[in-house]
Amino acid sequence: METNFSKGDARLGEEPRFRKPPQNQTPTDFSSAEDKLLYAMPFSAKDLQRYRKDEKFSHRLLTPEERINLLKPYLPSPPPRDSARRTSLSQVSREERKGKLGLRRFLRRHFHIFIYALIHLYFSIYVRLRQAYHAIGNRFYTVYHHHHHSPELIQRDIKDLSRLPKHLSVILTLEDQGRSGAGLEKLVNEAADIAAWCASAGITQLSIYEKTGILKGYVKETHQTISQRLQTYFGPSFPSVSLGAPHIPPIQSGILPLSNSPNNENRKNINILLVSAEDGRDSIVDLTKTLAEMSQRKKLQPADITTELVDAELSESVMEEPDLLVLFSPYVELAGYPPWQIRLTEIFHVPDNQGVGYQVFYRALCKFAKAQMRMGR
Amino acid sequence: MSDLYLSRIRNWFLSSPPAEWAINRLRETLIGSLSQGPIPGHVAFEMDGNRRYARSHKIETVEGHHLGFEALARVLEICYKCGVKVVTVYAFSLENFHRPKYEVDGLMQLAKVKLEQLIQHGELLDRYGASVRVLGRLDLIPPDVLEVVERAVAATSHNTTCVLNICFPYTSREEMTTAIRTTVEEYSTTPRPHSTPFSQSRITQKILSKQGDKPETLESIEEGPSQSDDHDHDHDHDHDQDDAVSTATTLHSDPSTQKSEGSENVAIYPNAETITPETIDKHLYTAGCPPLDIFVRTSGVERLSDFMLWQSHQDTHIFFLKCFWPEFDLWHFLPVLVEWQHRQKQKQREEKPSRVKQA
Repeated sequence: METNFSKGDARLGEEPRFRKPPQNQTPTDFSSAEDKLLYAMPFSAKDLQRYRKDEKFSHRLLTPEERINLLKPYLPSPPPRDSARRTSLSQVSREERKGKLGLRRFLRRHFHIFIYALIHLYFSIYVRLRQAYHAIGNRFYTVYHHHHHSPELIQRDIKDLSRLPKHLSVILTLEDQGRSGAGLEKLVNEAADIAAWCASAGITQLSIYEKTGILKGYVKETHQTISQRLQTYFGPSFPSVSLGAPHIPPIQSGILPLSNSPNNENRKNINILLVSAEDGRDSIVDLTKTLAEMSQRKKLQPADITTELVDAELSESVMEEPDLLVLFSPYVELAGYPPWQIRLTEIFHVPDNQGVGYQVFYRALCKFAKAQMRMGR
Repeated sequence: MSDLYLSRIRNWFLSSPPAEWAINRLRETLIGSLSQGPIPGHVAFEMDGNRRYARSHKIETVEGHHLGFEALARVLEICYKCGVKVVTVYAFSLENFHRPKYEVDGLMQLAKVKLEQLIQHGELLDRYGASVRVLGRLDLIPPDVLEVVERAVAATSHNTTCVLNICFPYTSREEMTTAIRTTVEEYSTTPRPHSTPFSQSRITQKILSKQGDKPETLESIEEGPSQSDDHDHDHDHDHDQDDAVSTATTLHSDPSTQKSEGSENVAIYPNAETITPETIDKHLYTAGCPPLDIFVRTSGVERLSDFMLWQSHQDTHIFFLKCFWPEFDLWHFLPVLVEWQHRQKQKQREEKPSRVKQA
């Protein structure tokens, strides 16, 4: 520290301020974290310590030149050993320094390609192992937490959860588009299963996202399948279903035989919304078109367009922000899910999971109950 | 006790020059090797967990942010060495203004000091060819910080190889709203329909006024002796009107403006039906950036939290990592990158057979 002081040449006038570090930063409370991070740095420990000391004194310890000198050994350009790994960036400088270093660079490049192949070889083995491991785990969960088509079992599963999402959303994918019949049937069945689980758990709002929107063409059939599925779960007094889509009026449950029965209050109902890729970007574009036309007719000033206005419009015409989004894909990819609505939604996925399963749904609810909201505060 | 000794010994060993040298060689080899494969064009980082890291290590939150900045520097180095074109980081959310004032001030000061240093060491970013852009509600930045921000952006704007987007007071919904608003503004300001010095409405008006005033004294057109003057004018007028109508119908579907064609200001707007997702793209803060390939959020929170919603909701690979941001390093980023490369290769393999089938 003393040596740095004597070097802090041009700033002698500020010297008294060196000795008084900012109040809430005492050097001791820093050391534990420092120790842990030291080895993780590309910089040598000595240089890092110098940098941090300088930072602690609000950058008055080192002059800009000294800081540059501190960094120089780590900068990429002049040293030849660095040039090869920046193949794409420094083509000009590579051109300049051919000759003696050409062979070295050639060898280095091939060494890198070799290491790259090696990494990916190991990684693909690792991925296989991981997939197998996860598959076994998922199987275990599937067997252990099976719903047996019984709402009581599902209710028992979720009994201890501190909170439930009010609005749950799932992403389904349509498989084999060649034989759309089989894919569609699978999709409808999955939707019906999820609807039954939600109804059992007491989640009243469900939105089912499927990229192509094929389900929207079969609202009636889907509604029927869901009703039947609910009947197998709940028996004769199954919950009523309202199935709709943005801009498509919802279909209410046709069978309402128990409207005057005493246990009508216990009867839940579930609102299901079918969402597709056109409700994402395209709906925002449509809103922009409408707003542009209104503005052209002087019915609206561009300054009137606020986040609240857009939010109100999109929640009204598409859907509200869901609390929990469950993915059944092996990794997180949103596949065109409405961007406006996914702002604070918890996204749940099971790594390497394949296909729709109750255990994924159940684990998502567990995860959601534990998650705490912070809203940036 | 023995744990403490062990960690001391480990730290001593790892910070000894030969070990450091070896680790650095290893890092460089790994980075160099990975840049042989497919490389994402645009990576976004949500730098979450600085405060929780600080809390778990019993240091000041501001210190946590300082360590977070170091992590950012490390990550940027890795990304640019690999060849990533655009890195977007979420530095400050509009929601963060609700945090305690001293922390907001601390973050602002941190940004100011770091950007000032960046300006002082201009060559540092020049070596990577990186330019800095600040995305968000710049009007909410305190004036002294804003001045530094503008200088830093100007000082690096000549670099074109890669870009560092710092989302400063940013939320994605605000970004989308701004994009919608600027699009609407663009579509509702009247561009001059043609850049000719002749105004159609003026010509129409002149003809109308001449017709209305004194139709007999139209001898000003002396070079039309064979035809009757009236006929000539009618023809002229029709032609002019046709023109106006046709431009109005092709450029604008709104019938209300067509009615007002006789009035002085014929407002011809671009057709709102031509707005596409690309139009919105062009009005986002990230206009001109390649599509987002990788989205990384640290600290185990599995939400997007109002960051890059529009950019990441399609085929971006989203990674939620358990580690806190100050701990983030090559050893965390490496698996992400390798996994992404692995999936890219798988995707290519899946696409190839289908292409063969089509052919």
